[in-house]
Amino acid sequence: MNTSRRNFLRGLSGTALSLPFLESAGIAASSKTVAKRMAHFYVPIGVVRRGFFPGEANDVIPKGNLGNVMKSLGEQDPELSVKTLDHLTPTMEPLQGLKDKVTLITGMDRTFQQGTDVHAQCASCYLSSAVAYEIKGTAWPLNRTLDHLVADQIGGETPFRTLEFSCNPHNDNKESIYFDNISWYGTGHLAPSIRDPRKMYDRLFSTKEAKVYRDITDLVLEDANALKRKLSYHDGQKFSEYYDSIRTIELQMDRLEKMRAELANVKFDAPTDAYLPRGEFIRLMGDLMVVALQAGLTNVATFMVGPERWDTPYMFDGLFDKPKSHHQMSHNQTKMIDDLMRVDKFHMEQYAYLLERMDSIEEANGTTLLDNTLFTYGSGLGDGSTHQYNDLPIIVGGGGKETKSGLHINLPEGTPLANLWLTQAEMVGAKMDRFADSSGKVTQLMA
Amino acid sequence: MERCEHAHMTGIRISKGWIAVVLCSLTAASSAGSDVFTDVLKPAFEAKCIQCHGQDGKVKGKVNLLEIESLEDLMADTELLSDIVAVIDYEEMPPEDEPQFTDEKRSDVVAKLDGLIAAAMDEKKVYAHAPIRRMNRFQYNNAVIDLFGLKCNVFTLPERMMRVHQDSFKPETGMMADHVQVGNRPLGKSQMIEPRLAGVAAFPQDLRAEHGYDVQADHLSLSPLLMEQFLKLSQSITGSHDFNPKYVGAWDDLFAEPTGDYDGDAEVRARLLPFLSRAFRAPVENEVIERYASYAELQLEQGVAFTEVMKSLAAAALASPKFLYLYDEASESGGVEALSDFELASRLSFFFWGSIPDQELLDLAAAGELNESATLEAQVDRMLKDRKLKRFCDSFPTQWLQLDRIISAIPDPKKYSDFYYSKYRKSMHMAMEPLLIFETVLIEDLPVSQLIDSDFTYRSTLLQESYEEDWPEEVELPRGKNGKPVGKGGVTVLHFNRMPVTDRRHGGVITNAAVMTMTSGPERTQPITRGAWMASVIFNNPPPPPPADVPPLDEDEKPGDEHLTLRERLAAHRERSDCKGCHEKIDPLGFALENYDPVGVWREDYENGREVDMAGTLFRKHEFNDVIGFKDAILAEKDRFTRGFAGHLLSFALARELGAADQLALDTIAESTAKSDYRMQALLKQIVLSEPFRSKSNPRTDLSLAKTE
Repeated sequence: MNTSRRNFLRGLSGTALSLPFLESAGIAASSKTVAKRMAHFYVPIGVVRRGFFPGEANDVIPKGNLGNVMKSLGEQDPELSVKTLDHLTPTMEPLQGLKDKVTLITGMDRTFQQGTDVHAQCASCYLSSAVAYEIKGTAWPLNRTLDHLVADQIGGETPFRTLEFSCNPHNDNKESIYFDNISWYGTGHLAPSIRDPRKMYDRLFSTKEAKVYRDITDLVLEDANALKRKLSYHDGQKFSEYYDSIRTIELQMDRLEKMRAELANVKFDAPTDAYLPRGEFIRLMGDLMVVALQAGLTNVATFMVGPERWDTPYMFDGLFDKPKSHHQMSHNQTKMIDDLMRVDKFHMEQYAYLLERMDSIEEANGTTLLDNTLFTYGSGLGDGSTHQYNDLPIIVGGGGKETKSGLHINLPEGTPLANLWLTQAEMVGAKMDRFADSSGKVTQLMA
Repeated sequence: MERCEHAHMTGIRISKGWIAVVLCSLTAASSAGSDVFTDVLKPAFEAKCIQCHGQDGKVKGKVNLLEIESLEDLMADTELLSDIVAVIDYEEMPPEDEPQFTDEKRSDVVAKLDGLIAAAMDEKKVYAHAPIRRMNRFQYNNAVIDLFGLKCNVFTLPERMMRVHQDSFKPETGMMADHVQVGNRPLGKSQMIEPRLAGVAAFPQDLRAEHGYDVQADHLSLSPLLMEQFLKLSQSITGSHDFNPKYVGAWDDLFAEPTGDYDGDAEVRARLLPFLSRAFRAPVENEVIERYASYAELQLEQGVAFTEVMKSLAAAALASPKFLYLYDEASESGGVEALSDFELASRLSFFFWGSIPDQELLDLAAAGELNESATLEAQVDRMLKDRKLKRFCDSFPTQWLQLDRIISAIPDPKKYSDFYYSKYRKSMHMAMEPLLIFETVLIEDLPVSQLIDSDFTYRSTLLQESYEEDWPEEVELPRGKNGKPVGKGGVTVLHFNRMPVTDRRHGGVITNAAVMTMTSGPERTQPITRGAWMASVIFNNPPPPPPADVPPLDEDEKPGDEHLTLRERLAAHRERSDCKGCHEKIDPLGFALENYDPVGVWREDYENGREVDMAGTLFRKHEFNDVIGFKDAILAEKDRFTRGFAGHLLSFALARELGAADQLALDTIAESTAKSDYRMQALLKQIVLSEPFRSKSNPRTDLSLAKTE
C-alpha cells in the first residue's frame, strides 16, 4: 500500500478510516493531565436558512439583494427549547454519524454597530462582539477576541498560545483585513492567520537552529527600550506589540526546543506547492490544525474556511465546473439556491471530516481529542442574503462528558452570542465573569 | 445585481479664501449676548436644516442641530463644523426638492462657518496623529534595497502593478518616452519572475486600510507571527547567496574584509556609524554603536570571519525596531509642533520614494537646514527627478484609482469573448493606460486637469483594438526587422505607444477601459458603482454608509423591464426619500459614463435598442448631454477636483485619514496649485510645504487621562 498521506486522503476522504498523526502513546497521553482545548471553524457569508435550520424548509427564499434587511424574513421560535437532535436538515446531513457528538444552537444574535461594513464586522467581531460603541476611538465593536482571552488562561504552557488558520484562496487585495480575520489581540491589533499550508507546517515543525535569533533579540530589545523612551503615550502603548512579539517568540523557541524529541515522532508529510482541489486544501489545513492540537503545540485555534465577501470567484472543485463567487451567489438565492446549498453542505463536510479526525485520536483514559476539544462551527451572518446578525448558525462539537451533546438548543430571542463564548471559556477552564456583551451563560449546554 | 459602495464621509470642499474674515466680529459680539451664532447661523439652521436635523426627533445622518445651543457648542466640534460647511458649500444640503438658500445667503453662512473653523483651529489646533507603525512590505523592500545599494529586488511584489522592461522611466529628463515596454505583474505572463535575492520569502501583503492607503498607520501592527518572519527575513537577506559583491552596492563600505593588517574592532565601529545612522534615519548614540560593536567583538573572538560578522550586524539592524518602525518622537505640548529635521527627512523620503532618506537628506537634517522652505522646495525638485520616484508611481496611483479592482474583473465570457485572448485577459493591457497617463502628468509636470481630460494617452495595439479604434496616422509604431509593428498582442512584454487624443471621449484616468471595466459587473455596467468611484476617487467625497434600516431595493429584472434603460430600471433609488440624499449625489456621476460598456467600448444604444440616456447635472450646476460635456463640467469644477486630489495625496503622505485641522491646509494647497497653472509638481511641492506635512501633535503624556483626573 502506498502510504503517502496525499493518496490516503484522496482515496478515503471523509470516510471512517483515519491514521493517527501520532501514535496513541504520544504526547498528550503521556502528560499527566489532558489539556482542554478550543477551536473555531468559521464559515463566511452565512448560510441558506432553508437548508440549515430545522423547521424552515418551506420558509420564504430571499429574493434579489436583501442586504439591508438585516433581520430574518421567516419567523423564529422566540422561546427557549431543548430538543433531541434527531432529524438533520440537508445542510447538516454530513454530521449524520456524529449526531451524538454535536449540539445545534439556534437563536444567538450579535448586535450590529452602525458605521462599518456588515461583512467586515460579522467576521472581525464574531469572537468579540463588544457592547456597541463601548470601545472608544474605533468604528468597530472589536476587542481582544475569545481565543486570546481563553489562551491567556489555558495557553500559557504550549509553544503557541494560539494558532490562526485561513483557507482564503484569493490573490487579489480586494478586501481589507476586517474581512479576513476573526482573531485579534485587541482593538486594531490583528492576529494574522496563515493561508499557506507549507508556511504553517514550517512554523509547527521547523527545527532550525534558534540560537542566532536569540542573540539578535537581546540586541534589538535594547534598541526597543531606547526607542520607547522617545515615544508619546499612545505610541508607547502600541509599541508594546514589539516586546510582546519578541517575548512570545522566545518562549515559543524554548518550548519547541523542549518538545523536539516528541515532535520528531509526528508523522506528517511536508506539504508541497502542488495545486490541491478546494476540499483537499481545506482538509490539509484542517489536518495541520488537528495535529497541532493533538501534539500540544497549542490549545486554542481558529480556522476560517474562507474570507467574508470578496467577490472574486474561485474554484470549488467537484461542485462547479467554473469559478464561483460565494458572495454574489448569496445575493441571488432565487436563482442560485441549489448551488449555494451545495457550498453550505461542502463546508459542513469539511467540518464533519475534522470532527471525525479528532474523534479518531485517542488520548488518556479512553477519551479522544474531540472529547477534550470544544470545536465550534459558526458564521457571523444568520443569512448571507439578508445580512442578518440575528439567529446565527452555530454547532458546538466535542467537549466530551462535560458537554451536553445530541441536542438542538433554541435560545430565547435576542440571546447574545457572547453568552455562548462565556460558557465555552468556562468549560475549557478559563475564568471570566463576563465576556463582551454577554448577559448570562448557556447552561443548557453544560452537563 | 448592484451593490452600493458606501464609505465614510470625509468633508472636502473648495476654498473661498475666508480664513481671516470673521475673527473680529466673533469675539467682539459674543459678550453682548448676540454673536454670529444667534444672529446668523441659528436662524439659518432653523429656516433650512432642523426640519430633518433635530426637529420632532428626526436626526438624519445622526446630525442634530438642535443640540447646538450656543457658539461654544458649535465651535467645540470642528469635525461637525467641517461637515456642515462642506454640505452647504457643495449644495448637497438642503436636499434638491427642499427650499434652498439664496446664493448670497449660502455664501454668507459658509463664510461665517469657515471663520468659526479658523478661529476654533487657532485656539486648539491639533493634527490627527499617525501612530507608530511598522513598514509595509513595499517600504521594507525599498528600504533594504537602498540601505545596501542592492542591484535587484528583495522580493517581487504584485502590488507594484506595472513592470518596466526597458529603462524608460527617466524623471530627470522631464519627458516620458514615446514607446514604453511594460508588463503587468499580477495579470501578465511570467511578470513576477525578476531578479531578486534567492531564498528570501516575502511576508504577506498588507491589506489596504478601509477607505485608505496601505501605508495607513493604524493598520500596520506587529504580531509574533510577523516578527518571526522579520527575524527570518533579515537572516535570509544577508544569508542569500546573491548577497555578494555583485549585487550589493554597499559591499566595499560595509562587508568587504579590510586588506592588510587591521584592527577588527575599530574597523567594525568605523563602519557601523554611517550604516546605523542610515538604517535608523537619525543620529546614532554612542551606546548603540557600542552595543552592536560588542556583539561583533564576541564573534570576532570566536574566529568568525569579518564579512560574516558584518552580515550578522546588518541582519540584526534589519530586525531592530529603529529600522522597522516609522514614528515621530513625542512632542512636549499637546498642540502643534514642528517635526524635527530628521523626522521631516523620513516623511519626505517615504512619501516620494517609499523608503529611507538618502545621505543628502540626512546631511541637510544634521545641518538643521531641511525645514527651511527654500531647502525643502529644492529637495522636492531633486527627489522628483530621482529614479526612485518610480516607487511613488508604484504605490500611490494604483491605490488612488483603486486599480487593483481590475485584477478580479471578469466580464461574461460569452458576451465579451474579445476580452479574453490566449488564456489571458485584456485587463492586463488596460491597467497600464491610466498608470502611464499618471506617470506622464507627474514627470512632465502637466496640469492635474490632464488627469481628467488628457490630450494624449498610451496604448498597445491590442488595447487600441479593444476600443475598436485604429491608430491615428501620426503615431509611428516601432517596427521589427520584418517591417511589421512589434508587440501587437503580448502577454509578457507589452508595447505601449504614446498617441495624441483629439477625440475627447478618450483620455484621462476616468474614461479608460480599465476603470470602466472594473466598475462594471460581468454582464452590465454598474452606474452606482461608477458613481461611488467618481465621488471617492475624483472628488474625494465618498458616500456615507447606508442606514441599516433602509428597506431593500429589488434590482432583479422583472418581466416587462427588458425595454427599459438602465436608468429607468434603477429609478427606484432616487424615488425613495431615504435613498435620495446620497443617490442624487452619486448616480449622475455614474450615469454620465453609460456610453462606455462593461469593457469600456463606446456604445450609443443598449442591447434592447434603447438609446443610452446619460444626460445630467454636475453638482446641480453644470448640465451635460454627452461625456465631453461631462468632462467640461468636471473641468469647470477643477478647483474642487484639485482640492480632493490634494486630500488623497496628503492622506497618503501622512499615512492617516485627514481631519478637520487639515482642511484649512487643503484650501491653501489648492489655491497655490491653481496659481501655478495646476501643475502636478507644484501640487506635490505645496503638499510638502503645508503645515500638516511639517508638523506633529503627539503629546508625551496621555492628555485624555489628565482631563478626567
